[in-house]
Amino acid sequence: MAITSAPGATRAAGRPAPSPPPGQRRTSLGRKLRDNLTGHAFLIGAVLCFAVFSWYPMIRGIVMSFQRTRRGETTWVGWDNYLRILDDPSFWTAWKNTFYFTLLALILGYAVPFFVAILLNEFRHAKGYLRILVYLPVMLPPASALFLFKFYAYDPSDAGLFNAILKALGLPTSQWMQSPDMTMPAMVIASTWMNMGSAVLIYLAALQNIPGELYEAAELDGAGIWRRILHVTIPQTRLILALLAMLQIVATMQLFIEPLILANGAGAEDSATSVAYLIYQHGFFQNDLNGAAALGVIMLVVLAGFSAVYLRLTAKQD
Amino acid sequence: MSVPQYRKAAALALVTGLGLSLAACSTKSDDASNDASGKVTITVDCQPVGAQKELLQNWNDDVAEFQRQNTDIVIKSVSVGEQCNNPPDFTARLAGGTVTDVFYGYMTDLQQVLDSGQAMDITEYANKDTVPTWDSVDPALKEVFSDGGKLYAVPVKNYSMGLVYNKVLFQQAGLDVNNPPKTWAEVRDAAKKISALGNGIAGYAEYSAGNTGGWHFTSLLYSQGGQILTPDGKKADFNNAMGKQVLQNLKDMRYGDNSMGDRQLLQWGDLLTNAGAGKVGMFIGAPDTTQAIVSQFQGKFEDWAMGPLPGQDGPAKGTLGGGEGYFFKKDLSPEQVKAGLKWIAYQKLTPGKGQFDYARAKPQNYPVGLPQPLLFTNGSDAQKQELDLRKTNANVDTANFAVFEANPVPIKGEPRNAQAIYAVLDAAMSGVLTNPNANIDALLKTAEDKVNQLLAAEG
Amino acid sequence: MAQDSGTRTLISQAQLRRGPGRAIYWTLLAVVIIGFTLVFLGPLYWMVTGALKSGQEIAQTPPSLFPQEPQWQNYADAWNNLALAKLLFNTFYYATGAVLFQLVFDTAAAYSLSKLRPIFGNAILGLMLATLMIPAMVLIVPQYVTVIDLPILHISLLDSPFAIWLPLVANAFNIFLLKRFFDSIPEDLMAAALMDGATPLRTLWSIILPMSRPILGVVSIFAVTAVWKDFLWPKLVMPSPETRTVSVGIYAFAGGTPMNVVIAASVIAAIPTVIIFLIFQRNIMSGLTTGGLKG
Repeated sequence: MAITSAPGATRAAGRPAPSPPPGQRRTSLGRKLRDNLTGHAFLIGAVLCFAVFSWYPMIRGIVMSFQRTRRGETTWVGWDNYLRILDDPSFWTAWKNTFYFTLLALILGYAVPFFVAILLNEFRHAKGYLRILVYLPVMLPPASALFLFKFYAYDPSDAGLFNAILKALGLPTSQWMQSPDMTMPAMVIASTWMNMGSAVLIYLAALQNIPGELYEAAELDGAGIWRRILHVTIPQTRLILALLAMLQIVATMQLFIEPLILANGAGAEDSATSVAYLIYQHGFFQNDLNGAAALGVIMLVVLAGFSAVYLRLTAKQD
Repeated sequence: MSVPQYRKAAALALVTGLGLSLAACSTKSDDASNDASGKVTITVDCQPVGAQKELLQNWNDDVAEFQRQNTDIVIKSVSVGEQCNNPPDFTARLAGGTVTDVFYGYMTDLQQVLDSGQAMDITEYANKDTVPTWDSVDPALKEVFSDGGKLYAVPVKNYSMGLVYNKVLFQQAGLDVNNPPKTWAEVRDAAKKISALGNGIAGYAEYSAGNTGGWHFTSLLYSQGGQILTPDGKKADFNNAMGKQVLQNLKDMRYGDNSMGDRQLLQWGDLLTNAGAGKVGMFIGAPDTTQAIVSQFQGKFEDWAMGPLPGQDGPAKGTLGGGEGYFFKKDLSPEQVKAGLKWIAYQKLTPGKGQFDYARAKPQNYPVGLPQPLLFTNGSDAQKQELDLRKTNANVDTANFAVFEANPVPIKGEPRNAQAIYAVLDAAMSGVLTNPNANIDALLKTAEDKVNQLLAAEG
Repeated sequence: MAQDSGTRTLISQAQLRRGPGRAIYWTLLAVVIIGFTLVFLGPLYWMVTGALKSGQEIAQTPPSLFPQEPQWQNYADAWNNLALAKLLFNTFYYATGAVLFQLVFDTAAAYSLSKLRPIFGNAILGLMLATLMIPAMVLIVPQYVTVIDLPILHISLLDSPFAIWLPLVANAFNIFLLKRFFDSIPEDLMAAALMDGATPLRTLWSIILPMSRPILGVVSIFAVTAVWKDFLWPKLVMPSPETRTVSVGIYAFAGGTPMNVVIAASVIAAIPTVIIFLIFQRNIMSGLTTGGLKG
């Protein structure tokens, strides 16, 4: 897959047990046991953390989603929590909003950094400056960056930065977060601005590893810039592109802080409600942790579907 | 060192490292209520935050003075943020059992606190011995904090909403500062005149996010004579002519007259920030919102006055009342409960002390003379003392609140499950305030469905 | 200061030096420099100066480019009222701890899985990698309930830094990165070390780790970024004001603080990280670019 360090290093992954190094013939049963114990001793810290904070919550979440706790007493309620969650009119709105955000983010937040990286990679001057610029917003605490957008950029009056610019250019102004149609695009813009730096850097790293001869050869074949991007750059960075696409989808499905800060929660007519926000609302506003757990399980199922499709697609390519 | 030993040591190091790190977390313990010297320690939240400099100073002085008078009690103050009960944080503290020994909550929080199993029945402790003014405290407020005849919290504040307005803007718009609008039609006229001043000024401002939209919808609905839930609390009861009138009034002002400003999706601090900057003509709120405008949002007292909540065709048929109290965490020792009650009695329920120390508050940037907090029964001794002190030390022009006080509106409490319902109603409010083509019937229908479903789930 | 990197990229050097190519290159470069400065530095300028404006000036149309009467008080208020020093300290404390915990436990685990390969190692690795596909949001409620009351031990980690550190150790991506890197270290080196009688720990310490600096750098950067960027989790597990992170703290105070002060706080909160970034940017950039992320 995409991440490795030294070439030709992938063979160890699926190998069963280590073959004894040459010169070590006294492999007794006790010795083996000791080796295994040592191996597990090194593992134990991480395994415990996984067990307590990942594997166990996974099971606990599923169990919780079939229970209900009231006044300290927990009872089994079957599918009640799921039915309640599905009945919530905000449920479908939240999914619709989340998918819409994911889609917009794939167009904007995913493609833009790639092309910015290609562009930056071509420059022989001011490289450091441009990289620092792109990475600068990543340094802001996310809440800070979003307050900047909320208070200054997306101010719906003409005093707002964006509207002032639009007005100066003679373009129609927008209500931004107050317009249900603009809510999602506005959130994607803010989110892309504050997050794209890392993606750009990762792409730049990938681009620098493309052998120059490939471009050379393509150019000799008479391929123009676009064809070279299409036939050299993209295939050569395919794995990292696929990996980041997956990470991006998983990340955007968890859309939370943007609606919370930019839209004060649900936004105009629920236009900013995301699934993650709904989980938060059920769990911590409506005193319904069990319903929130059920929603979490639903989200897991949806993402598992995504992963399956993803694996199918990438497996085919390999 | 032979090989296996070295390995063992390594494994041991790893395991102990993790073990230690886990053990380190467990050293936190909160049962240090009685230390060796026999002192009783209680933790109390809702200490003012740094932004409220004078309030914080007052609180700390109160703690020092209280501890001087009660040498066997130690008060540990905890500040939980600007808003002492921010619903998600409050829920987290309840679920996590990290509430302080004596913790702040809204009147509407009782059910949630009981559900979490964190509350203690304090019926047998709350009496004249622990709280000298206990018999003067309005029984209706005690009732709000009771369930099944058991008392769970001590009320420390009680308010009702009215129409808060900016006198300076009223004057500039040629309106009578001593005669605030009494009906929603008059509010609409006034808002139109005020917003005509331009400069980004909103004639009337309203909330629509962070649960505050639903909160104000409730108050507006009460003014129409409506109610959020049916009397048995099982069904939503706002999808009717009165609910529609509430939203229609707002829609007319927002898009008919464009008199509510461009910025919407406001929540608590947003509106008050604008108000502090002199950009809001009128809004509905409790008397102490003026205090927040001044102490937190850089506004001026003399600018603000208050009238009763307007009604549709005459005086409002009802207004939203609410309040705050202190709960007691389960498993406190009797000494701790008594110490907590003593502290609340001292800081919150003694005329001349703590929140009623008007002589101290007078020179501060903190209002004395607001018609609040309405804690004591009419005609009780404590009420008389409090009123006298308030009059002698008033630093705000009580005339600014005279119209509000002279025209009392029947007070109604918040619905059960208030915060969850408010979250739902936010969408209806944001709908009429951000969408010129909002369909009021559809908005109310959706909200009704959601609230019914929510109530059904509560069982 | 034209730097000839020597490596051929999408467009050849020669093409960029010749007539029209050269003109296009310089025009594009100028446009990009100006554009990027406006897009990425512009908002920051707006932030720094906006925090100096009064409430009235902020609401003015059209907005002013320079604050008319700079309100330095906003910055002082932000620093004092939000206890920013404490918030920043907390955040750096959590970030440092997160780096240490992840380096120690994840490196040890990856080393074991890559080189020691104990029995069931692959099954464990599989279980770890399975969590890669599970986003944090799915687990937020049960994880929260777990942290409130740890199984078996029955202690609460709320308001304890371990509530941030330990869940971050359960990071399959880091273990995967580290393992892939360790896999690439030739087996012969291990064998030779073992022959010399070196213990696994010694081998890890004196052979593997020195070779792995770039990947350790990457893991550290990821750890710091994770703490810096996370919001909901610290918001839930650090409910008291004394334990909040910067992001959560600013959010918590935003509701009851004038917006200029909120923005001023945001500016101050960003300064230390930006400075750290500018100092270490060379290392961070090269860490990210050479540290094992490849196409």
